Amino acid sequence: MEFLELFSWMKVDSIATMSLVLLLGMFALLAIGMPLGFASAFLAVTVIVMKFGPEASFGRFGSGPMSILAQAVYRQMTNYVLISVPLFIFMAALLERSGIAKDMYDSLSKWLSRTRGGIAIVTSIMAVIMAAMSGIIGGEVVLLGLIALPQMLRLGYNQNLAIGTICASGSLGTMIPPSIVLIFYGLVTETSIKALFTASFLPGFMLASFFIIYIVVRTNLNPSLAPLPEENPDDPKGREKGLRFIGFLARFGIWITGFLLLRAVFFTLTGDNEIKEGVEPIALGMVADIPYIVVALAISVAAVFAVGRGRAEEGWQMGKGLIAPVIVIGVVLGSIYMGITGITEAAGMGVVAVFVIGLIRREMTFEIVWDSLMRTLRSTGTIIWVTIGAASLAAAYTLAGGPTYVANLIVSAELPTMGIILVMMLIFLIMGMFMDWIGIVLLIMPVFLPIVLKLPVEEIGVLGQLDPKHVAIWFGVVFCMNMQVSFLSPPFGPAAFYLKSVAPPHITLTAIFRGFLPFIALQLIALSVLLIWPPIVALFL
Amino acid sequence: MRMKGDSLWLGRAREPVRIATLALAAAAAIVYLWLVGQRVFVSGEVGVHEIIRPEGRIAVWAMLLSLAGFTFFASVYLSDFKGSIEQAPEGFFDVVSLVCARMAMIMIAAIVVVMFYEVVSRYVFSRPTLWANELSLWIASFLFLLAGQYAMQQRSHIRIFVLYDLMPRWARKLADVVSTVLIVGFTFALVWGNYADAQRRFLRMETFGTAWDPPIPGTVKPAVLIIIVLVAIQAVSNLLADWNKAPEHHSPADEIDQAEVETLRRKLES
Repeated sequence: MEFLELFSWMKVDSIATMSLVLLLGMFALLAIGMPLGFASAFLAVTVIVMKFGPEASFGRFGSGPMSILAQAVYRQMTNYVLISVPLFIFMAALLERSGIAKDMYDSLSKWLSRTRGGIAIVTSIMAVIMAAMSGIIGGEVVLLGLIALPQMLRLGYNQNLAIGTICASGSLGTMIPPSIVLIFYGLVTETSIKALFTASFLPGFMLASFFIIYIVVRTNLNPSLAPLPEENPDDPKGREKGLRFIGFLARFGIWITGFLLLRAVFFTLTGDNEIKEGVEPIALGMVADIPYIVVALAISVAAVFAVGRGRAEEGWQMGKGLIAPVIVIGVVLGSIYMGITGITEAAGMGVVAVFVIGLIRREMTFEIVWDSLMRTLRSTGTIIWVTIGAASLAAAYTLAGGPTYVANLIVSAELPTMGIILVMMLIFLIMGMFMDWIGIVLLIMPVFLPIVLKLPVEEIGVLGQLDPKHVAIWFGVVFCMNMQVSFLSPPFGPAAFYLKSVAPPHITLTAIFRGFLPFIALQLIALSVLLIWPPIVALFL
Repeated sequence: MRMKGDSLWLGRAREPVRIATLALAAAAAIVYLWLVGQRVFVSGEVGVHEIIRPEGRIAVWAMLLSLAGFTFFASVYLSDFKGSIEQAPEGFFDVVSLVCARMAMIMIAAIVVVMFYEVVSRYVFSRPTLWANELSLWIASFLFLLAGQYAMQQRSHIRIFVLYDLMPRWARKLADVVSTVLIVGFTFALVWGNYADAQRRFLRMETFGTAWDPPIPGTVKPAVLIIIVLVAIQAVSNLLADWNKAPEHHSPADEIDQAEVETLRRKLES
């Protein structure tokens, strides 16, 4: 192959040059608007040619070092956890088209109708519940914008407060488990996804509570920001309402404990919960658990009679909208945490749960399912093919020794540990303005995480000490928090555009981004809590 | 089942395709019942292991062929309708991609069904299947590959438009040509370096090495190459189809489809 010898200059021996070419090539290809996945895939080819030279790469048809690419693609295609991605997207698409969200909103706003800033608080709580059902954002912001924004504007809520609440809360989907961002982080870095979910629970709730505290404080300092709705004389008030809420909880408790009791009895009858060496006990399904469940059931029954059956019934009617979401959360998170199934089956069961609830509510039609499948396929293609390209690139670059080289370069420079981490945060935040999270996690993480793992663990954080085996998990949660900011940050924060599509025309994009500012500040505060006190992620691990 | 909507490409062939779909569905159901009946009443000759290894068993061949035929004809029939989020096919390759996309959509639903079957039989009847996890893995690998072809046809692959939108018309065209050439270049390198390996595994029908032992490497390895070639063809088809289109400005707002928002709004008001 004399022809190929003409190109033998393409072989590069220094990994530094190779990295530089790769970086510049990535900027150039993205600048001309090449799809991210294919740009990475082409650069993977470039890296292989630079590493092995054109003669070895193209010398003989049918084989050669290019086989690394197909290997990497094949590994992704047969990755069982990756199946959860289309399933979670499918579930979210079905959920969006069901009336579950609207009913939940109605229920929640009944309980909080006399609270200052009530609808904003309801919006945040609802966003948290929706976030725990699925792990996708976008649909959430659109739904909240359609349901809550008109209400808040009609009542005369401050526009910035309303906008910020909807978009910031609507972005929580990827911070509270199940989260598609953490699934990809886990896949790329080979970290336990279940551990990531557990670790992100507390930071996610912390962020949500920051939002709610902010709403409560601001609206109480300045009540004109959130006028109360007109009082409905028929509504129960104060103490009465509280009793009804207890009645609702008690009745709901009867159902839940009743179900758990039946489940435990079923396992006992079939003998599935026998104590065996090496078999993990079924959570709340062992014979020893039955007395506790019975006590809980008795307390619930007693509570229903204590508040009065009439009040419990009224409470039940007011709170009905919360039942379907709790069932879906129970199916998805219950499957993951009660040791029943893995992430993938949990997502599949989530689809089934939403579908069945939709059938019971008489909302499911062939058109809705087909339309959801179409959206699912398109989003799946978009996400998975970035994965294909990035996996090829990561495989080629790792083979060439790139990540180790970069990690050694940074670590040997002996910069202060927290300085390096802060620079990484800055890079995440800036990239998040222009690039989707999926590109960042797939392309940057394989380079950044090895660096973080090589840093001295004692120097990470200010308060408390992180267990060395939790560093990868901590960094995943930190990354997830960074991506929260990226959903809101101008100029391309997707949440703003989702809201714009449903907001009244007089609300401009600039106004929307202005409404985000206090909420971005809250997100940055939450991020700094994670950085200053890293062990927060390990509390439940 | 009869859907509404103008024909995209089948025209007068739509009705025959629909009938063929229904007939094949019926055939698949009958053969399935026959196989189950045989297993129950005669002897367990055809089990999960045999179903993917026909080897002269006529009933198994009939099962597989009627199922494949049903999926194909259903996909052809369903590709004749434009989804609310889709653009009408314009390029020379769009119809092929649409048919493939419909197959992939059926596959998503199939994965859910398989997974549900597995979870129920494992946790309710304590009889885990040997085949469900591997079957969903097998289906999903095709689904992932075909999803990329669909995303290409729908122009929904993630791109960054910040600089692209600032370019003059000729520069954009140049950028599009460069992108497409590089996609074809990647495909070329991929096929160049893997053809022999994929061919060898396909001819041996290399299996997964588990109890059920489906030929996942034997089918997916060649499928990776074939479908990436299809994606590259689709990229060329897009380039030609969009060549004379008016330049459009891109923003993240393109991601949102107004039809969807309208549907939700109507639903909430009702």
